[in-house]
Amino acid sequence: MPNRLETYFDRLERTRVWKSIFRSGTGSSTLHNALAIQQNLFLHLFPTKVRKRMVSLSATWYLGTLTLGTFFILVGTGVVLMLYYHPSVPQAYSDVKDLRFVVSSGLFLRNLHRWSAHAMVFLAFAHMFRVFYRGAYRAPREFNWVVGVILLLVTLLLSYTGYLLPWDQLAFWAITVGTNISSAVPLVGDKIRFLLLGGHQVNANALLRFYVLHTVILPLSAVLFLAVHFWRIRKDGGLYVRQSEPGNVENSAQPASEEKKQS
Amino acid sequence: MKTNKTGFLASCLAFLRDPFRMFGVVSFVLLLLLTIAPAKDYFSQWHGYQRQYLRFISHRTDALTLQRHFHGGIQQIWIPQMNVVDRCQTCHVGLTEASLSDVQQQPFRAHPRIPHKLTEFGCVICHRGQGAATTVGQAHHSEMAGEEPILPARYMESSCGQCHQGPLEGTPKLNQGRVILARYGCVNCHSIILPDGTKLQASDNPPPLTHIADKTTREWIYAWLKDPTSYSASATMPNFKLSDADASDISAFLIANSTTNPGDTMPMPATAVHSSAPDPTAGASLYGESFCASCHATQNAAGNLVGGNLGPELTNIGTKVRPEWLMAWMRNPQHYDPSTLMPQYRWTDAQLKLITAFVQSKTNPDLLANVHLSPATPAQIAHGKKLVIEYGCASCHQIRGIDKPDNFGPNLSRIGSKPVVQLVFLPGMERTLPAYLTQKISHPRSFGPSLHMPKYNFTSAQVEAVVTALLPLTDRSFELPLNLQRPAVQETHYEPTDKAGQLMTQLNCLSCHRINGRGGDMAPDLSWEGSSVQRPWLDAFLKNPNTLRPALIRRMPRFNLTDSERAVLTDYILAVYQTPAFQRDELPLSGYSPDQVEKGRQLFYSKYACQSCHIVNPNQDKGYIGPTLTQVGSRLTAAWIYHYLKNPQALRPGTMEPNQHISDDDARSLTAFLMAQKSGASQAARK
Repeated sequence: MPNRLETYFDRLERTRVWKSIFRSGTGSSTLHNALAIQQNLFLHLFPTKVRKRMVSLSATWYLGTLTLGTFFILVGTGVVLMLYYHPSVPQAYSDVKDLRFVVSSGLFLRNLHRWSAHAMVFLAFAHMFRVFYRGAYRAPREFNWVVGVILLLVTLLLSYTGYLLPWDQLAFWAITVGTNISSAVPLVGDKIRFLLLGGHQVNANALLRFYVLHTVILPLSAVLFLAVHFWRIRKDGGLYVRQSEPGNVENSAQPASEEKKQS
Repeated sequence: MKTNKTGFLASCLAFLRDPFRMFGVVSFVLLLLLTIAPAKDYFSQWHGYQRQYLRFISHRTDALTLQRHFHGGIQQIWIPQMNVVDRCQTCHVGLTEASLSDVQQQPFRAHPRIPHKLTEFGCVICHRGQGAATTVGQAHHSEMAGEEPILPARYMESSCGQCHQGPLEGTPKLNQGRVILARYGCVNCHSIILPDGTKLQASDNPPPLTHIADKTTREWIYAWLKDPTSYSASATMPNFKLSDADASDISAFLIANSTTNPGDTMPMPATAVHSSAPDPTAGASLYGESFCASCHATQNAAGNLVGGNLGPELTNIGTKVRPEWLMAWMRNPQHYDPSTLMPQYRWTDAQLKLITAFVQSKTNPDLLANVHLSPATPAQIAHGKKLVIEYGCASCHQIRGIDKPDNFGPNLSRIGSKPVVQLVFLPGMERTLPAYLTQKISHPRSFGPSLHMPKYNFTSAQVEAVVTALLPLTDRSFELPLNLQRPAVQETHYEPTDKAGQLMTQLNCLSCHRINGRGGDMAPDLSWEGSSVQRPWLDAFLKNPNTLRPALIRRMPRFNLTDSERAVLTDYILAVYQTPAFQRDELPLSGYSPDQVEKGRQLFYSKYACQSCHIVNPNQDKGYIGPTLTQVGSRLTAAWIYHYLKNPQALRPGTMEPNQHISDDDARSLTAFLMAQKSGASQAARK
């Protein structure tokens, strides 16, 4: 049975369609594996070669990956939510009510979006703490640290702009307070507030602005900086783990050998 | 056992060491978790109610019909123009099933019959609550900003009042509440602007205090201020809960501020106070003959109030007013208070003494027995003035030197939409707007001793009526499309003119009668009286009014008019108060052929069975619902009878007389028969 399955796959991999999609060709040499990563749009940002110990949980606690995961969930649920939501004063709140009371699994969808947003902020902070305390911000990764800080700001702005969209009392006053804080910036404070609200009051214009920021401008900039972030990981020598520092190589060999013994 | 367990855990962990296996297991767990979402949808509250409904109707005899009418899923009434999205029918499945009206179990009962279709206005406009919600708690009890909990059923009539600003037949509580708002002067302090832009007008007619010292004493004012109900149980004036010192200061100020107005008092012989009339019951019978009780109430021995409420209660009036003022008032009430509703009775001097002495004898010596006020000091008077301004006394009463304050109390035009989150509740109070309003009206000072709102002596039913009248003052009532607004009929500014007009003003006919859209509702509308009655009858009636409806207690009083005055009034009424619908002399008053009269009699007794409500022959007819017709031929014009028979509601809107669509011929015969019922002729006809 396994044999027949394998021959079936072999035959499939030899078809023209397969070859036109997976261009690295068959084989399992190191070069072939590296090409398979590099020639894939979705994977080419990553290092062509990753050591097994680098993807162990103890190395990074997957915090960066989890942050990316919540971002994907947010994009997915966000797009579906956009099908039900009008960024207009008379309808925004009743659309949120409809999601809660009438749309199939609408409440689940909205809660998933909301909790993922909370989780993303939390995970981004946790990720940065880990990077900071492990000292992974040092050269040659100092540029990527700065990109990470920008990504944190984008995350926080996404969270803040999304807060207004239900257009309830909580949202209204949170945005009133938030934009008033921004007006305390010396010299340009009032301009910033005007720019954010599209006027002098939290109103229909502010709702529209925050909607566009939340669904177009901020997600696009997040994607852009994420791309740079991952590309820099690759260029700066892959994931930073304690073992990758010189002098720690011997320590890293220890768990690997234990693993072999156990299996 | 323990080792077994740890061994099992260890082997599990070993199994999960492989990242691929770990990934698989985690993915599977996530998939399981994701199924919770559709499961929660399926087990939602409204799904449960719909399944319960299907089980419930399956045992009924009309199961097939009900099942055919049933549609699963979310049901909603959507009216975009009025911003209505009501999903109540998702759970209240049998709302429009007339056959489920016997069901007690909610949410399946049918809606009671109402004058509107359910789909016309949806549910929330009347019941409040949150129409968009599909869970019981959220739909009925949400208190969040912009959302309101469901309206308790006892205030249901209030919702009609959002569109209908005038009285409705089916909403007695709302009508009563609106009357109280005007009658007890609530709107003197709290202005209420209705959606049509008009302001709710007070009808309490508070007396001016400019010459109060002519009328009463400082001691009485003090006792009245302390507790108006101790003087009269039906007092309109509320209790301001004043301290002894404050009440004393206000009374000092009012007396000091009062000026004497010559003519407000009338010197009277000392003997007149304690009547020396030959017959001790003469005063009481004059009081009865003048039908004072139509407007004024008195307490009887059992402590019940008997009489009308148009004028003040007279139980203890002798303790209040000075006799010399009372006599002048009885002669011409408009001299002291030009806006009074009291007519000028034109009593003779002897009658005046008699009635004054009788009314003055109604006293309660206990009321002022313990009131001993030291003479007022200037400081007291100044403090009294300050208090009068502070408590807004001038909102109702005319007080020399103090202007009527604008908007003394909060404006209540939109009180019915006040969000629960903006209200202050006492501990243990139900957190709803009606509960707040009830507490505020029945115990106004419970929210703080420094508040100025006085306490009215309302029964709980009256408080409920007032709350019912306040709740429809909502934002929604202002935002209604124009075609849905039903404004109240506004009082006109009609004034009778000429010499007769002066006479009618003196007699205050409009206190009881309504003419051309202005006036009271105690007595018949006189707008078309001239088309309706015959001159000799009207003259005789004004000379000595007898009653047309013996069952009524309230009657027209006798005004002692002179012959010339009666002639002026009769001429004016017959000439001016004419309906445009027909000429009053269009049909002859007599001269109908006996055949036609006989035909009319048969129609009267057999075809239309008028005797079920009216009496023509007192020996055999038993109808008491309509007026007696024994002498109708001497009273009404033939033209009026004919047109009234043809369409009663056109001449007297709202009359109980049914429109029987009588043919012209039949109406003419009936008119002939009724015109034959003359005061002298009825005796002859019976024989």
